[in-house]
Amino acid sequence: MTTAGFIIRNALRNKRRAALTVLSVAISCGLLVTLLTLQRELTIPPESEAASLRVIVRNKVSLAQPLPAKQLAALDRIPGIVAVSPFSFFGGNFREETVTSFAQFAVDPARFAGLIVEGKIVDGSYENFINDRNSCLTGADTMKRYGLKVGDRMRFTGTFYPVDLDLKIAAVFEGTVDDRGVFFHHKLLDELLGDPGTVGTWYIRVASAEVANDVIARVNKAFENTAAEVRAETERAFQMSFISMLGNVKLLIGSISSVVVFTLLLVTVSTMSMAIRERFRELAILKSLGYRREELFSFILAESFGLATLGATVGIGAAWAFWTFTDLQQLTRGFLLYFEVTPRIVAAGAFVAVVLAIVAAVAPSIAVARMSVVQGLKTLD
Amino acid sequence: MALPLKYNFRNVLVRWRATLATVLGIALVVTVVVLLRALARGIEATNANTGDPRNILVVRKGSQAESGSLVSREQYRTLRYFGEIARNERSEPLISAELVLIVSAPRRTGAGEANTLIRGVTPRGRELRPQVKLTDGRWFSPGHREVVVSERMAARFSGFETGGSIRAGADRLTVVGHFDAQGSAFDNEAWMDADEARSVFDRDQYSSILLRPHDAASAVTLLRRIEADKRLALRAEREVDYYTKQTMTAMPFKFLAFILGIAMSVGATFAAMNTMYASVAARTREVGTLRVLGYSRRSIVLCFMIEGALLAAMGGLLGALFSLAVYTYVVVGKIQFGTMDFQSFAETVFQFRVTPDLMLVGVVFSVIIGLVGSFLPALRAARLPVISALKSV
Repeated sequence: MTTAGFIIRNALRNKRRAALTVLSVAISCGLLVTLLTLQRELTIPPESEAASLRVIVRNKVSLAQPLPAKQLAALDRIPGIVAVSPFSFFGGNFREETVTSFAQFAVDPARFAGLIVEGKIVDGSYENFINDRNSCLTGADTMKRYGLKVGDRMRFTGTFYPVDLDLKIAAVFEGTVDDRGVFFHHKLLDELLGDPGTVGTWYIRVASAEVANDVIARVNKAFENTAAEVRAETERAFQMSFISMLGNVKLLIGSISSVVVFTLLLVTVSTMSMAIRERFRELAILKSLGYRREELFSFILAESFGLATLGATVGIGAAWAFWTFTDLQQLTRGFLLYFEVTPRIVAAGAFVAVVLAIVAAVAPSIAVARMSVVQGLKTLD
Repeated sequence: MALPLKYNFRNVLVRWRATLATVLGIALVVTVVVLLRALARGIEATNANTGDPRNILVVRKGSQAESGSLVSREQYRTLRYFGEIARNERSEPLISAELVLIVSAPRRTGAGEANTLIRGVTPRGRELRPQVKLTDGRWFSPGHREVVVSERMAARFSGFETGGSIRAGADRLTVVGHFDAQGSAFDNEAWMDADEARSVFDRDQYSSILLRPHDAASAVTLLRRIEADKRLALRAEREVDYYTKQTMTAMPFKFLAFILGIAMSVGATFAAMNTMYASVAARTREVGTLRVLGYSRRSIVLCFMIEGALLAAMGGLLGALFSLAVYTYVVVGKIQFGTMDFQSFAETVFQFRVTPDLMLVGVVFSVIIGLVGSFLPALRAARLPVISALKSV
């Protein structure tokens, strides 16, 4: 019998225990990967090259405070700005829903074309969107989720604004970081509200990443000491400010993850010790046959390593397959969007499994190293 | 005939080396689940503690929350003359049209800014919420840009101390006092005069209306009357019901507790199974002896299941103690948790609560893990053939 064969036979001598160990390691690894992915999803907004060139301008008081529409003229004169459009969050509820998970924004269609440069029109035409004041531009994900087609109507009940919308889908876009949104004419919103002369925020695209900070400074300065002071920030910084309000999510998930890892460690260590205790006598025989401590340690380590690796492969693989191939957006009604299990996260899970295997092998190995052959031969259970 | 419990208890203790890891593992599972439930409970407790059962809150039809609601002055005027509304000793109707606004303020920790809620209230609004009590300074005077902040918020945001000021565009609101809302949702708010708020924030409309009917009967008629009035397009509901329903914020924690509870308990069950199988294997001869002495298969199954339950219950108790320790640490250290309210987009602060019933649920949960985990090993023990069991070493 080869050494490898010996180790494999040993690992599988108690198939039930081996299976239970592999499964508990698999569950913990799967859980760990899921938690790390959740942490990533909640704390790091998806990034795209186009998004780093975009700037959102809001009222300094808060996001909920509108800005005067007449600021547009001043923004148009600021150098470094390639495109600027009003961008007002409508926050309506779709059909009879009480909580709608995709956002609707009122924009200036002609100007907005210069802002979502990464988006492609996959159905209908942008021209039709520009020409029809009662039409909207809808994200492909939303179209798919509700089974909509071009020409269908989308009705929204306003929550932030005291008006309702009835829009006809003119075009469908795809290829942005979030293909869920619905965009409609700001003119329509103005009309419904009786022309209040305000917008929610301004959405700006800058010429290059280098000038972004200059543009932000210029925009902030342009409206200093006016009735509506503004805060301009990159799209990413804007998203991060929302995330910071979620509270200490990172710490919470981090501590849960460490508890999961620790539990995993306990389970594996106890199983390995059980497996070794059970064959103390055999190990004593091996010792008396002349096997050295290092060799016995490597047997134990190899066994522990094999079980942990198998468990990790099953767990991480299952988690990866599950999060990659399920339609999460459908499942969580749009709450989770990407939930991407990155190679980094997989590596983190695998690393934990390896460390675990080593730690789990150490305690029983010490016991084996310490025992005298006679004592080992006498052991009963 | 059942085996004495003492037998199980001693067995668990004697084999502590083998069982310790499992007990600790179960303890950690219980700790995680209890603490997450405690976070959700804290948020819910804040909302459940808010409002007066006699009050009715009116928002725009279709709005789920005050912050996303708009009520026009015409609507307010119509409501004001409804006969069902009670009056105070000066015979003013107990109705308050209010504004809920968001202002971003710098955190004391220096970690950027967060959205805070500002409520524009009227004198009637304060009468309707006696649970909000001034703790220092004075109330704002109408017509002045003054604001009274909850003590909890003052601890969290800079400039919220008495004499400090909150920026609202070109205007500044001076903090003239602090209030304590006794753990209710109002502890996340700063209050100022409603009309002043409308002028500072340039709002034409109110967010919501709070009112109090004469009695229970007129409350019912009033709720029906507002519901039936298509022209008003408003939604009325008891204030307490409104706040109990604002549980969206607790959802992520509950969801996490649920998912983790399931996944981790399955893992813990496997661990318990492993331990119990090992225990059965190590005691083969003992089981054979017990059978020869006349103990039935059923009492052997029962015996091992009780042992599994005992083992897990120890883990559960330990877990409950862990969570209690964390809770004590949080209470003593006056640590508060903040999260984003998904309805108003403002930061809310809450106190998490480990209550006896949550700990009990944790222990029961662990016992279930123990019973499920020990069932198969117990069956195996009962099925051991007596003679060969006695022969085994």
